[in-house]
Amino acid sequence: MSRKPFVRKQYWNEPEMGLWERAYLPEILRGLLITGGVFLRNMGKWITGRKGALTTYYPEETRWDYAAGNRGKHVLTRRPDGSPQCIACNMCATVCPAKVIEIEAGFDPADAAHPKYPVKFEIDYSRCVFCGLCVEACPEDAIRMAKEVPHLPSGDRWAMWLGREELLAWQPQSDVAKPYPPAPAGRRAPGESA
Amino acid sequence: MPRLTIDGREIEAAAGQTVMEAAKDAGIFIPYFCWHPQLSVPGNCRICVVGVEDKGGEWVDIACNMPVSEGMVVYTNSEKVKARRKATLQFITLNHPVDCGICDKAGECTLQDYHYEYNGERSVSVDAKNHETKHYDLSDRIVLDNERCIQCTRCVRFTREITGSAGLAMGNRADHSLVRPSEDGAFGRDAYSDNVIDICPVGALLSKAFLHKARVWYLKPTASVCPGCARGCSVNLWHRKAEWRLRAPGMRAAHESIDRVTPLENPAVNGPWICNKGRDLARVFDRARAEVAMLKGRPTDLEGALANARALLAAAKRPVAVVSSWGSNEELAAFRDALGARFDAYVKADHEPQPGEVLEDSLLIRADKNPNTAGARALFGERPLAIPREADLVLVWGEGFDFGLVPAGAKTILLNAWLAPENGHADVFFPVSAQTERSGTYTNFAGVTSAFSACFPKAAGVADAQALFPLLARADGGGE
Repeated sequence: MSRKPFVRKQYWNEPEMGLWERAYLPEILRGLLITGGVFLRNMGKWITGRKGALTTYYPEETRWDYAAGNRGKHVLTRRPDGSPQCIACNMCATVCPAKVIEIEAGFDPADAAHPKYPVKFEIDYSRCVFCGLCVEACPEDAIRMAKEVPHLPSGDRWAMWLGREELLAWQPQSDVAKPYPPAPAGRRAPGESA
Repeated sequence: MPRLTIDGREIEAAAGQTVMEAAKDAGIFIPYFCWHPQLSVPGNCRICVVGVEDKGGEWVDIACNMPVSEGMVVYTNSEKVKARRKATLQFITLNHPVDCGICDKAGECTLQDYHYEYNGERSVSVDAKNHETKHYDLSDRIVLDNERCIQCTRCVRFTREITGSAGLAMGNRADHSLVRPSEDGAFGRDAYSDNVIDICPVGALLSKAFLHKARVWYLKPTASVCPGCARGCSVNLWHRKAEWRLRAPGMRAAHESIDRVTPLENPAVNGPWICNKGRDLARVFDRARAEVAMLKGRPTDLEGALANARALLAAAKRPVAVVSSWGSNEELAAFRDALGARFDAYVKADHEPQPGEVLEDSLLIRADKNPNTAGARALFGERPLAIPREADLVLVWGEGFDFGLVPAGAKTILLNAWLAPENGHADVFFPVSAQTERSGTYTNFAGVTSAFSACFPKAAGVADAQALFPLLARADGGGE
């Protein structure tokens, strides 16, 4: 069996370099001028305090133009009486690819419709990947994501855990915790009269 | 020995078997809710229907109550059977609340599994579901959710046929049937009542201790042996999987703990049951642990403690050892091999029966509340614990020793897993691993040996008794 001789494959977009490009150094210098120019212009604007630098100086400065669908900080929605909508079913914690959601469930036999509720609801933003799967998984529409990002720069990783109270109380300017749609007709809670 | 065909496979069944038992023995699965190998056959759930070939075509009946007969041809998956099963599941879930999201049984629920396997469709019912008591306190250990109950009566039959307490019964009729405890409170006194949680095919009976503690898929079982009495029941210790460890600040104490205990079926020892004391093993293992070696109460490291213990041992003229009946066979053998020739060894009962505890009964519970008394006595003989007056060194291994028995002036070496006041009084104290941190075997009162495995890592300063004894013997002339 004869071996096929090696033939270099020809691509449709083979780079073509002229003599100038192959000389190497002039092109390197041109590239350095571009990046250097951007750097110096940015630097100059920052030093003189003028707006318009390309870099956002996080955390002193945050962007205002997040897209409407940006997945930022989590918001726990509430029932009309102010209690969290969450039933501590752990679907979000189970689906979370980074395993950053931890829920401690409580039992309240007095509330027949919602006997299981979250005593603690902790999210570790140092590991959260902002994928939004928790929002997808939630059967109760109890967790949503606002477009604003959490403002958590800190030197302490434990400060990047946010608990139930922070997630419930935090209301961004565009309120994602809209009122929950009313229950479909024909379903009533136990104990409720017809 | 009747021969029958199930799903085209020829099977030889034992005489008097039902189709369900014959299929189970042959490894063919037939779904069931109310049937249980240890209980009587009520035949009320109707999910185990199978088709039987006959002259007039295929007829359908329940496998759990159908005796095998010669030449029978049974189908477990024919179209007729599938349709019947589907209709049965629709019927069973007619009033089921389907609140799997907040149900502790979700993930190991038979109804959930069968629904996905055999039905998979929404309810066809247009009527509102019946509402029943959502949380009924059956006893101070168990809460009953009547909406989830499918009236299989397994729990009722358990209290009548296995424990004999007759603590539960069905009241009312039809879709208003309710499981209720008897008025004399017999269920609350039943020492085996928690088994109804395991045999409940749905989430109607739930443990109060485990209520909403974890979703079951966060947990994994480790096969172990209950150290609660000389029966040595095989159990599963359920604890969090490593990837589901809780990390949030203040979420839980840093040490690992047992979330729940369930029986591990072992026909030679306990069958499918364990007693309520076995369910509360977490209370035994969650006690504060001793983690630092000490010399008369002064903390030291293991090396320092070992050097001191060796010196005491070398100087002793009449050393006496009191070995633990909570030690595994391997640890006891290690002690005998390394130090048996040097020490005069007695076996001690680490735990005595507690007030209010069932001392002994005809089902499982034994009066000796230590798991390995039989194993220890096989190695060190059976004689009453009486320390000779001339003893000048006493090595105590485990809890439950009365230090008043130690002769005046004798030195003491103590090995204990838990914090105790006497730890600080011993001349040398070694913290040793608990049962959940090591593997080994126990021999129960009947001579049956069962193995347990480690489920948690031990702390850095804690020694393994099995490794400690050879080290202790090394410098001593009486050793190897």
